[in-house]
Parts: sequence; structure tokens; C-alpha cells
Amino acid sequence: MFEPIILLQILWTGIATSAPFVLLTVGFSLTLKVTGLWNFAQSGQMAIAFYTMFFAMNGLGLPLFAAVGLGVVMTAGSAVLIEIYGLQVFRDRQSGNLMFFIFTLILSEFVIYVITLLFGTEPETLYKSILSPVDIIGGIAVSEWDKTGIGLTILALGALYGFMRYTKEGQFLAAVADNAKLAELYGISAQRAYRVVAVISALFIVAAMYLIGSHGGIVPNSPLELVLSAVIGTLLGGIGRVFAAAWASIFLALIQSFSILFIGSRWQNLLLYGFLFATILLFPRGVRMPRLRLALIGR
Amino acid sequence: MDYLITLAILIAIYVILGASYNLVIGYGGLSTVAHPIFFAIGAYTTGLLSVNVPELPAVVNVLLGMVTAVVASVLLAGSALRVSGDYLLIASLGFQLGLLQLIKNLDFTGGPGGLSAIPSTILGAARGPAFLAITGAAAVACVFIIRAIVNGPYGRAISAMRDEELAFTALGRNAMSMKIAIFAIGCGMAGGAGGIYAYYFQYISPDQFEVLASATILTMVVLGGMGTPFGPVVGAILLLAIPQAITFLQLPPAIMAPTQGIIFTVLVLVFLYLRPAGILGNKARAI
Amino acid sequence: MTEILRVEGLQKRFGGIVVSDNIHLTIGAGEILGLIGPNGAGKTSLFNLISGVLRPDAGSIFLNGQKIDGAPLYKRARMGIARTWQNMLLFRTMTVLDNMLVGPRDYAGESVTRLAFGRAGVRAAEAAMRARAMGILGRMGLESTASSMVVDLPFGQQKLIGLARTLMNDGPLLLLDEPMAGVEGAAYETMQRVVRQEAASGRAVCVVEHNVSFIRDLCSRAVFMANGKILQDGTVEDLIASATLTELYFGV
Ligand SMILES: Nc1ncnc2c1ncn2[C@@H]1O[C@H](COP(=O)(O)OP(=O)(O)OP(=O)(O)O)[C@@H](O)[C@H]1O
Ligand SMILES: [Mg+2]
Repeated sequence: MFEPIILLQILWTGIATSAPFVLLTVGFSLTLKVTGLWNFAQSGQMAIAFYTMFFAMNGLGLPLFAAVGLGVVMTAGSAVLIEIYGLQVFRDRQSGNLMFFIFTLILSEFVIYVITLLFGTEPETLYKSILSPVDIIGGIAVSEWDKTGIGLTILALGALYGFMRYTKEGQFLAAVADNAKLAELYGISAQRAYRVVAVISALFIVAAMYLIGSHGGIVPNSPLELVLSAVIGTLLGGIGRVFAAAWASIFLALIQSFSILFIGSRWQNLLLYGFLFATILLFPRGVRMPRLRLALIGR
Repeated sequence: MDYLITLAILIAIYVILGASYNLVIGYGGLSTVAHPIFFAIGAYTTGLLSVNVPELPAVVNVLLGMVTAVVASVLLAGSALRVSGDYLLIASLGFQLGLLQLIKNLDFTGGPGGLSAIPSTILGAARGPAFLAITGAAAVACVFIIRAIVNGPYGRAISAMRDEELAFTALGRNAMSMKIAIFAIGCGMAGGAGGIYAYYFQYISPDQFEVLASATILTMVVLGGMGTPFGPVVGAILLLAIPQAITFLQLPPAIMAPTQGIIFTVLVLVFLYLRPAGILGNKARAI
Repeated sequence: MTEILRVEGLQKRFGGIVVSDNIHLTIGAGEILGLIGPNGAGKTSLFNLISGVLRPDAGSIFLNGQKIDGAPLYKRARMGIARTWQNMLLFRTMTVLDNMLVGPRDYAGESVTRLAFGRAGVRAAEAAMRARAMGILGRMGLESTASSMVVDLPFGQQKLIGLARTLMNDGPLLLLDEPMAGVEGAAYETMQRVVRQEAASGRAVCVVEHNVSFIRDLCSRAVFMANGKILQDGTVEDLIASATLTELYFGV
């Protein structure tokens, strides 16, 4: 049971499964960092992303690239609209945390009800078959989906890193994240930064929903659970630490995969929340990276 | 008729939830979203006791449900408020999600399928009206108890604490214990509502107490007018009754449920834009 | 003169800034001590340390000879340390009278259990507190404002109400942080008279104030602080006469 090859297989599958969650967590955490909002409207955007692609491929019969393009347009479009006609309105009114909480959550609920009306509550997938061709590499089963997922995630994170580090726009984001008022004094528009973040997280959401939707069934309600996993990764990584949040969601996925060796599969989700609980009570400011590494090695 | 009685009972239960939540966030200024989990704690405690310890009278079960909710709320507030007031928001969310997950995974709670076969306690044709009388009385009592709390000297202290916590503390008041007390009173009432709910519907499941329920209760409070004694009453009636107005259309369930949801959410969104202080609220207290 | 407050070797720093550097200080019953010094000298910080808003890094504080180092802010207030705030910190959504009624050190009405089981007692206590509050407002010529919202009053009156609310705490020590900042005209006389009356009733008073003539009129003794240190402790005349202090203070 503890043979190295099995452990390696679990490690690989765990990492691959974490890919879409990493993408969602990064989108959520980046938004939190720059706008200061726990943007639950992202679950509505997840639903829009998936069902747009689903309809484009299965309803209109469009090829993948067109479906993804349409998904990006719809998701980013809705994100920017929500930003301009929703969040900014409440910012101008100086509304409090709770207002944003209600607004973003109810908006997502609204989107989900509309989608339920249009598409029903049966689980849907992007492709007719969710089986993905498998290669055996060094004794480990590696599916096409695994490769796409990991490749896409590395690409997205690399692009984000480069963007934040080397472009003016990215540095503006960091400045606004640091202190929006101060940034405005230096002529950086916070509103513009918020819109840019809305688009970036929309891209991450589309990528993640493509991965999730080609791997298993989605119902209109699924995004509400997905956004919660992003919340947990964000908390565990530490608020404002986007890449740490990415590591945290990989870590969580691995813990869940490896737990199969020790406990029944139905307890896996509970483990996730166990970590959330412990983080909230013991490390209110987020688990720091070195500690996370130690925890990994300790396993 | 049964349908109307059930709706009225549901409204009364949500009046309790809304009013007690209003005490916590509207008057106490404590940001939490976890109110449904205390509703759940009351419901599950009462439900489990009634199923497993049938010799206990219903009233005792409901009271024990309240006590459990109070204990849990004191633990949560006691640890989270020590970090900071804002932290309570996140901690409460984590507490809610974690506990629900636990309920879903344990066997004796009935797991994700929920806890069923809760004894009906009151039998016969009078069951509905009797429950309505009990729940209605409890709701009225809650609203007026809260009003008494916030109108008297205690309420003066609460608003002073919310306005200027530092000055309040420097006048010799223990803000921390006051916050915990407010939180415990509000959560205990929610626990009591849970107990009544379990007895009337005889079935509870974890997904009734998810974040969506948080948003629903919060919305009732905001819509009615946060920090006003009767705001949550108006909010609960409005948000539960208006979506029901289309039931006469006899739509198939697959269309009915999401349509009601759309009516509910659109109503909320419109209010958030047009009247953020709520129906009975004054503009100065908009969140 | 009986000693009310004694501070021994108080030490506090924020990162690189030392706000209290080995502060020793005593104030006696009936005394009005002036505390002056430039902006950022550490005057408010000293009040924060004494009242318990801040914890010192080292040193001790004694009230009536009793060490109070471990007591939190609210307990020190109950022991009788009453203070005002530079920026008043009035309860904005409340009336003047309600602001006053949160002031007493101990008040039975603010307990849930008493609310449920001791209504008659609460009513009596409430009436007594109201009478006391109206008495204090009366001394300051503010009776007519009792039912106004504090935010609707002019700044000078708000300042007086900040003091009035603090006076509801009848403990032995009174700390006033810049009571005259932004106050003009009639309030000057009122403030002087009320502070004198409080001292005459046996309380120890310490006043932080940039308005030196206010301190000269009120205090016989004053201390000068800069950079967290007490540079001089003596009569107001001595302090004003000192060339070094004048330079430090006015930056000439
Ligand atoms: N909580 C704090 N954290 C960090 N620095 C602080 C804190 N409180 C005060 N300081 C710093 O300590 C120094 C002393 O501040 P303090 O308010 O005690 O001065 P003050 O003598 O009352 O000045 P003023 O006359 O302007 O009121 C200032 O430089 C201030 O910035
Ligand atoms: Mg000062």
C-alpha cells in the first residue's frame, strides 16, 4: 500500500487535480488583494464561464477555441460590468463589508437561478465523454487532462508573475493593493486597476472552468462550493499573498489525496475544513510558506 | 390552508432569526455571517435529542438547543474577537462551513441526507394552528425582548460601544464581555428557532444552513432596516411572502423554484441600489 | 498632601520612537498639574499608559498607593482614573444626556440580568444618575443641551461635554488631554472654574495643554516633556522662564 510508485501516483494525481483550484484561488486571492473585497460574485462568473462554453460547444456546435473565446468575452464582460455598475457604486457610497458580502453573494445567486431556469439542474460536461487518454510514464498514469491542467496552470501563473513584475499595469495593481488612496495621489487610477483585476480573474476563472468542466459534471450550484474552496486557499495562504494561496491549494489537494491512505474518502472534505478551522483559530494571519513546507515534509 | 399556515410559521421563524441577527450586527455592530449555524445547532440538538432521548419533553429539548447554541457562540466570539472585530467575519464563515461539513460527515446526524423522523410532538388537526401559535408567540417575544434590551440602559451602553469603543471602555465598561453577551443572546434565540423548526418540519438537512441562508437572513435585516426594532419583521415577511405570490400560477417545480429565486434576488438587488438603509431604516445607518 | 498617582520608571517605545523614557511622576490630592511639551512629546502616550490604553515596556503605576499595572483599561476606570480625549470621542449617535449616562463608574442598569430581574432597582439608579448628570451639565451651563444630539452642537460645547461625561466618573484622578484646543470665549472661564472645583473636592488633576496661559492661570506646578522625557518639573513661571524649554517648545 505504501509502495513508492503508488505514492508517486497519488502525488501526481493530487497535483493535477489541484490545477483548477489553484487557478480559482489565485483569481479570488488577487481580487481580494487589490480590491480588498471577498468577491463572492466570482461564483456567478464561474457559472457564466462554464455554461457559456457548454452552450457554445453543445448548443451551437462551435469549436473549442471559439467556445473559450466566447466564454472569456462573457465572463470578463460580466466581471467588468459588475465592477462598474455594482461594486463601484457601493464604493462611492462607502458601504461596509456586509454590503459587499450581500451584494456579491445575491448577485451570484441571481445568476445561478437564471442558469437553472435555462439549463436545468442535471450535471453537464463540456465534452460528451470525460474520459481522457492516459499514458503510462515511468509507471505512473498520466492523462491528457492532467497535462493540460498542469500546463495551463503553470502558464497562467507564469504570465501573472511576469505581468505583476514587469509591466506598468501590473505594478499599478500592486500600488493600488498596497494603498489605493496613496496610489491615486501618484496618478494611478484605482478604478482602472479594479477593472484590470476583474479581467484577469475572469481569465483564470474561464481556464479553471474549462478544466473542471472537461473532467466532471457541473450543476448550477457547483460554483458556490468552488468559491468556498478558493476562500479556504486564500485564508490558508494568508490574505494578500497570492502565490502563497496557490501553494496552499496545492497543499490542500495533496493532503486530500494522500489522506486516502489513512482515512475513508468521505472524510476528505472534512479534512479541508479541519485545516480551515485550525488556520482560523491558530494562524489568523495565514500560514507562512516555511511552515507550509515543513508541514509537507512532516507528512 | 395548510400551505398558508406553514408559510406563516416559516415567516415567524425567520422573524426570530432576523430580529436576533439584527441585535448582533445592527445593534451590536458585530460582523458575523454565521447566524444560520446557530439555527442549525439548535435544530440538530433538539432533533437529535428528540430522536435519541424520547423521554425528554419537547420544551426541554428546545431549551437545550438554545443552550448549546449559546455555548458555541461564546466559544466562537471569545476566540475570534480577541484577534479583532473584522476577523469575526471570516472566523464565523469558517466556523459555519466547518461545522456543516462535520454534520455532513457524521453518521448520527444523518449526514448530507439530513435528519428525519423527528417526532411530531403535537398530533391531530390542531397541529398547524398550535405550532403557529407557539412560533408566533416566540417571534413576538423575541422582537419585544430585543426592543427592551436596546431601548433601556443596556441599549444605551450598546450604542455607546458601537459608536466609540475606546471611550466606552475608558469609562469603565467591559466591551469584550458585552459583545460576547450580545452575540450569545442573538445566537441563543436563533438556536431556539432551530428547535421549533425541527419539531414542526420533522426534517432538517445541512444544506438549509449554508452561506445562502446567511445571505437570506442578512438580506431580511438590511431590507427591513438594520438597527431598527421592526425592520427584520418587515424584511422577513416581504422576502418570504412575495416570491410565494406566483405559486398560484401552478408552474412546474423545475420552473417555479428558480423563478421564485429570481424574484427574491432581484428584489434584494433593487433594494440594495435604491434603499440601502432599508425600508424602516434611516440613511445615517446604511451599511 | 496625600499622594494619588505615582508613576515609576515608565518606559514605552514604538519601534524607533521612545514615547516614555524613564518617567517618574507623582500627583497629590487637590493638585492641578500642568503637562506641556511640543507635538509628539509623548503627553497623550503618558495618559494612555496611565489609563491603561497602552501597556508599558517597563515601570509601574500606583493609584492611592496600590499597584495597578495588571489592570485593563476598563478596570482602571472603575478604580477611579477618569480621562478625556484630545479628539473627544463622543458617542455620535446619542444625545448629550445619554453620553453622560454612560459615564458613571458602576451602573447597575447595564447588566442583562438586572434588566430581567431588578427593574425597580434599575429605575431608581437611573433616576439618581440622571440627577447627577443634570447637576454636572448645570455647573457648565449646558442643561439646555441635554436632549440634543452631540453632533448637532458647536465644537466648543462638544469639548465641554467631553469633560462633563468624564466628570460622571467621580474617581480620585482626572486626566485632561488638551481641553482648550479649539475652544474660545466663555468656555475658557467655565473650563477653568470646573477644573478648580474638581481639584478643590480633593481629586488629583493633570492637564495637557498647549495654551500656556491656561496652564499659568490654573496650575501652580507643571512638568515639561519632550521626546518622551520629563525635562523639568517645577512652577509654571520657572518653566516659561527657561530658555532651553522655550526653544524646544516654540522652536525659536
Ligand atoms: N499607537 C502608536 N503607534 C506608533 N506610534 C505612536 C502611537 N501612539 C503615538 N505614537 C507616536 O508617539 C509619539 C508621541 O505621540 P503623543 O500622541 O503621545 O504626543 P503628544 O505629546 O500627545 O503630541 P500632541 O501635542 O501633538 O498631542 C508621536 O511621534 C506619535 O506618532
Ligand atoms: Mg496629544
